[in-house]
Amino acid sequence: MTVSTVGPAAATTPAAKQAAGPRQAWRRLRHQPLTLAAILTVALIVVIAVFAPVLAPYAPDDTDFSNVLSGPTAAHPLGTDDLGHDVLSQLIFAARTALLVAGGSVLVAMLIGVPFGLILGYKGGWYDRLGSRVMDLADAFPGIMIGFVVIAILGRGVWILIFAIGLIFSMNFGRMVRAITLAERKKLYVESAHVSGLRNRQIIFGQVLPNLAGPLAVQAAVFLGNAIKVEAALSFLALGLPDDQPSWGGMLRTAAEHQVDHPLMALPPGIAIVVTVLAFNLLGDGINDALSGARSTRKARKASRKAARLAASTLAEVEQARLDAEAREQVPSTRDDAPVPVASSVATREALVTTAAHPEPVLSVRGVSIVADRPDGEVVPLVSDVSLTVGRGEVLGLLGESGSGKSMLAKSILGLLPPGVRVDSGSVTLAGDELVGRDERGMRAIRGKKLGVVFQNPQANLSPVHTVGHQLVDPLRVHHGMSKAAARDRAAELLDMVGVKDAAGRLSQYPYQFSGGMAQRVAIAIALAGEPDVLILDEATSALDVTTQSQVLDLVLDLRESLGMAVVNITHDLGVAAESCDRVAILYHGELLEVNDVFSLFENPHHPYTAALLAAHPTADREVDRLPTLADFVTADGEWIVR
Amino acid sequence: MGKLVLYRLGFALPQLLVVSVIVFSLTYLVPGSPAAAILGISATPESIAQVEAQLGLDRPAPERFVEWFGGLLHGDLGTAYRSGLPVTDMLAQRLPATLSMIFGGLLVAIVVGVGVGVITGTRPGTTTDRVLTGGTVFGIAIPEFWLGMILTTVFAAWLGWLPIVGWVPFSENPLLWARGLILPSLTLGLTGGAIIARQTRAAMVKSLASPYTDTLAAAGVPRWKILYRYGVKNAMVPVLAATGVTFAIMIGVSFVIEKVFSFPGLGSLMLTSVIGQDFPLVQGVVLLTATLVIAVNLLIDIGYGLINPQARPA
Repeated sequence: MTVSTVGPAAATTPAAKQAAGPRQAWRRLRHQPLTLAAILTVALIVVIAVFAPVLAPYAPDDTDFSNVLSGPTAAHPLGTDDLGHDVLSQLIFAARTALLVAGGSVLVAMLIGVPFGLILGYKGGWYDRLGSRVMDLADAFPGIMIGFVVIAILGRGVWILIFAIGLIFSMNFGRMVRAITLAERKKLYVESAHVSGLRNRQIIFGQVLPNLAGPLAVQAAVFLGNAIKVEAALSFLALGLPDDQPSWGGMLRTAAEHQVDHPLMALPPGIAIVVTVLAFNLLGDGINDALSGARSTRKARKASRKAARLAASTLAEVEQARLDAEAREQVPSTRDDAPVPVASSVATREALVTTAAHPEPVLSVRGVSIVADRPDGEVVPLVSDVSLTVGRGEVLGLLGESGSGKSMLAKSILGLLPPGVRVDSGSVTLAGDELVGRDERGMRAIRGKKLGVVFQNPQANLSPVHTVGHQLVDPLRVHHGMSKAAARDRAAELLDMVGVKDAAGRLSQYPYQFSGGMAQRVAIAIALAGEPDVLILDEATSALDVTTQSQVLDLVLDLRESLGMAVVNITHDLGVAAESCDRVAILYHGELLEVNDVFSLFENPHHPYTAALLAAHPTADREVDRLPTLADFVTADGEWIVR
Repeated sequence: MGKLVLYRLGFALPQLLVVSVIVFSLTYLVPGSPAAAILGISATPESIAQVEAQLGLDRPAPERFVEWFGGLLHGDLGTAYRSGLPVTDMLAQRLPATLSMIFGGLLVAIVVGVGVGVITGTRPGTTTDRVLTGGTVFGIAIPEFWLGMILTTVFAAWLGWLPIVGWVPFSENPLLWARGLILPSLTLGLTGGAIIARQTRAAMVKSLASPYTDTLAAAGVPRWKILYRYGVKNAMVPVLAATGVTFAIMIGVSFVIEKVFSFPGLGSLMLTSVIGQDFPLVQGVVLLTATLVIAVNLLIDIGYGLINPQARPA
């Protein structure tokens, strides 16, 4: 029934698609200057810690009683403390302590947290419920309080400190591992591993652990930083390391005692802590970015700044369009089965578009081309040179596969293109007014008042934390300058008009209390609030079941009759197009192939693609063993081929 | 609303009960007898037994728990080993300074955090965003007690704008109380604010990328209205969660920075009782802070329910 499906899942999981393997992540990592700086800093601190005895001018316990609390001198570049210790040497040896305690405690945290999370996530059921309660309980204790209690019970010492800090962070690891294991467990391959007879333990260690590696690395880096902060705080309070062991926190304790007369003593250890923690945190962020594939190049930032707009919901679609465009380029130009080029694309379009324009066009699209500016500077065409008209009271269908550019076309009419996507050329006129090139203020005069739109996902189209009434009242007040009470009355009328029963009562309900079909009726009511001349349905019925779909389409047709508006119905569904449209335009790879009235189009398609599209559509009266599939119809030089 | 509160209390009260059991069992985790710790090197088996009997440590655990828990319900947390004073009184004496500091810190954290988060979240990728978001990365990396030291040095010692020793009880002089709170609040609030700012930014970006913004924009609702009326409210849910986490962190941090600002709060009490293994006091402080955290999270859960209708009990 459909050419291809545009599910909400496709739009919401771009991140999953981009998740990268370690090699790819490493390649991305190398292009993140900040992360590289962080790696270098961490490496430097490690080198300093390892080679402390070589690098430090004095031993950590060397005292120079003739030179206590001296400022920087030739012998002591960072001065001395109250016992005559060389501050620079202390600083260098303290790096050892910091790394040892932080590394050790993160190891402890992982040793406790990872198995804990694995068991909860894998076993589920009571294990999970009980374990999750334990983790919630741990939340009630401020982290450092756990440290206090462990030290109160066990006393002071390096290993105790490592255990205490590890315990603080163990639940964070547990929580993360649990969440990931839970997600992995549900994935198909774990189930298939079950089927193939692998034992549970093998499944966990063989398949889930590799997936944990990335997030664990991120968490470990961040907690290394946190652990250093906690260690410093506990040593500052004289609860951490024994006094004879140099630590940054301990140095700050000494500095605090002499804060009034020697305030600069606080600088070296403080800066050492900040730099180290910062390096670990940035490393964690960097690994995270590299794994999730977030691009943050200068150009991408520039593009989004230039766009300076909010909507970015359809980036997945842009990506899809780009993939399609790439696929088009990769179609080999020589084929064994000798395709017959029918005509150049331009000629085809001219020949096949029957411009039986409606007597009174209200919306005209002339030669519109839309392009996406990719972060690397490449300009990807999404829609090329499309011309269309829609007459008053007419329903025009815009039919195409996903990635054909039909939604981009709709968004360009509304001036709601996502950042990085723009109208390259062409013009859109609505009742004689040019829409292309209008600024935000100029578009606002059009949106809602002259053009209404309903998007695909019924629930996501409405703000989940505002009542339906609230969302209807706002556009009403904008357009008609109504008082709140008057707008509420009108909102109830509108809801009633779109077929929501007990309209007045349902105004104070939230979107989640509406079914998909009802939520979509609400979205239609919002779109109609400004009494627009043209209503655009952007896959508005695609997420609904067939019966609801019909009901919503009937409603739109009724409203068209009673309000005399024009409707543009964008869909990938031939059935929807046949049921609701007067004329249908076929869009493929951003090009308009054919426009015809709905009967002629279904009876006698001009373009081979249209014919193939219709052939791939199963109907009750035509039994086929196997549905034909659509091959790519475009050659490398943009020629249409028939097979 | 009433239903929501009851529903959430149904979660919080059992949590408190389990916390109290955990806190009670802390003394049993100590290797050796607390009596030995109290007596120090002069301890003999006889004197240890004597002190244990005196403190009731020789009785069976369930019996002691019932007694301890019964006292707890009456606000009696026992007697501190060393000072011999009632733990409740000692806590009550220290609580105002700690609560004042956390109140100030939360105020700074929320104002700075939400402000920076909304500013950066509504213009991702801009220079403003990068500078401010870079600032939050620093805010999270800086040890609070060090920041406190730097602030006192600059504003109290060098510029002389504020007193070095800050704590004045509210009942004594509200103005001086507020003045003394400025530096501790900034210290506590800047790092907390950084956490909240990052959450707010992410939530704003996500909220404003949702399809409903297109629906409203397409219906002609102005951008600023979508931003501030719809975007912010949608972003508030994760921000509230971040505030809860920040509160717990702040209690811990306040214990550390008390030392910097010479505040007579729970932190210094905890410190001396940890060093002296004065367990009734340790238990008291832990129980009190856990209760505070649970109470604040209860409020936040109720706030969730008010913002997000789906989080309300059916």
